Amino acid sequence: MARPRALAGRALERLFADGLVLAILAAWWFAARGLPSFVLPSPMDVGLALLRLFAARDFLIHTAASTVRVVASVLIAAALALVLAAGAEHSAALSAIIERRLLPVLNSFPAIGWAILVAIWLPPGDLGVVLVQVLILLPFCLVNLGEGWRALDREAIEMGRSFTRSRGRLFLKVLLPLLCPYLIAAIRISYGIAWKVALVSELFGADRGLGYLMLRAEVSSDSATVFATCLAIVLIFIAGEKLVIDRLARLVPNP
Amino acid sequence: MSGEGAVTSARRQLPLHLFTAAVIALWAALAAFLPAYVLPGPAEVARGLVRFLLAPPMLLHLALSLGHVAAALFFSFLLGSGLALLAHYAPACRLMVHGRIGPFLNAFSGVGWTFVAILWFGLSDATVIFAIAVLLVPFAIVNIGAGLDGLDRELVEMGRSFGRRRGAEFRRIVLPALYPYVFATLRTGFGVAWKVALTAELFGGNAGLGYLVNIARQDYNTPLILVVILLMMAIVYLVDRQLLAPLQARLGRHYGAA
Repeated sequence: MARPRALAGRALERLFADGLVLAILAAWWFAARGLPSFVLPSPMDVGLALLRLFAARDFLIHTAASTVRVVASVLIAAALALVLAAGAEHSAALSAIIERRLLPVLNSFPAIGWAILVAIWLPPGDLGVVLVQVLILLPFCLVNLGEGWRALDREAIEMGRSFTRSRGRLFLKVLLPLLCPYLIAAIRISYGIAWKVALVSELFGADRGLGYLMLRAEVSSDSATVFATCLAIVLIFIAGEKLVIDRLARLVPNP
Repeated sequence: MSGEGAVTSARRQLPLHLFTAAVIALWAALAAFLPAYVLPGPAEVARGLVRFLLAPPMLLHLALSLGHVAAALFFSFLLGSGLALLAHYAPACRLMVHGRIGPFLNAFSGVGWTFVAILWFGLSDATVIFAIAVLLVPFAIVNIGAGLDGLDRELVEMGRSFGRRRGAEFRRIVLPALYPYVFATLRTGFGVAWKVALTAELFGGNAGLGYLVNIARQDYNTPLILVVILLMMAIVYLVDRQLLAPLQARLGRHYGAA
């Protein structure tokens, strides 16, 4: 008795959810007809601009540059946090410095502040953009990996130690697999944040990338490209999460 | 006994203070070799901070930023909790709110909203408030949604057996159970809002701390940029630790932390 009703309820939910998306698209199309395109470009214009970001050569450069930077920043931040969290496990002083000095400051430092300062300090280019993103991602990775080190199974490490004396092997064969779930969580969170701050970090110190493209489009009142850049980021973000991070997470057994 | 405790806590504090001192010393040493527009020294930034706090026009910008943040918090809370309530009381809208609106707003970039808002509202307070508010809405949806999901069904059931008025049930049972979540929403929102406010005001504002930073950036006035950043961090820290955290703890005791 209950199942057909539950099915009907779910169908209604879908109808409302996808109906809203269609309704918004329709309202957008209708509103855009009466407005100049620099105020509200039509869905078709934005769709074309979006397509261009993934297909046309001179636009693909920007999309690819942003993607590579985001991936690099996430990996660097996670690796750096792994090292710092390992150090904190061995030294109470470092642990206190991370908890009470590094984390509060990094957590409350505004992204745009880093972007401006790094643009003053470093020449424009990939290095500055990646540095800004790493500085923003580091606190999130530190919190997750610190949690991971605290939750490590001491007995498994003891056992590992009785089998080998090599610290490197102990790390690769015992510690890293135990830390993997936390590493994945850190990467998942950072990946989402990295895409959000990608635009900010590319506004001042970059010579290519979606943020740079967006600022250029804004200055020339090319709203279709501004909209398309934002949507492109939403799309790449979802694709990366579903195609890469979800699969990685499935490879790692949960503790 | 207490003297011993004080000694160990002082010993534990020592590396922290040494670290702070080392960072400031390194900063001062670097600044001595670099021009002020690249890296002003700690003393210069401290002087700038005092000058800032004594200058009424600067304080006006600070107050305006505070106003932007407060207005954005208010509107985003209204919209976000409204959507969460809709999803709770009309289950047919659940997927729409939690599966479409929430994730979309969450994935959309803050700068993107600022730029879109500039096209719609020009350089104005409305642009800044819109850009901050729209970014905070998903936080409200998630937090208030979690609160509604965690409602004690039996308590609601019992309330219903005492009275049939939905309004009274909402006011007396649902609302008090939501207070801790409302507070959590406002507290996270406050921290996020300040960071976004700087970006939104920098590009889309004609007043506020972000606007000041933009002017300072064009004038190569790096000391002022650092002063504004430090001031902002201090405000977020002080308000969070001295005002919001104790309030939240008191609310938690009163209504039972969920």
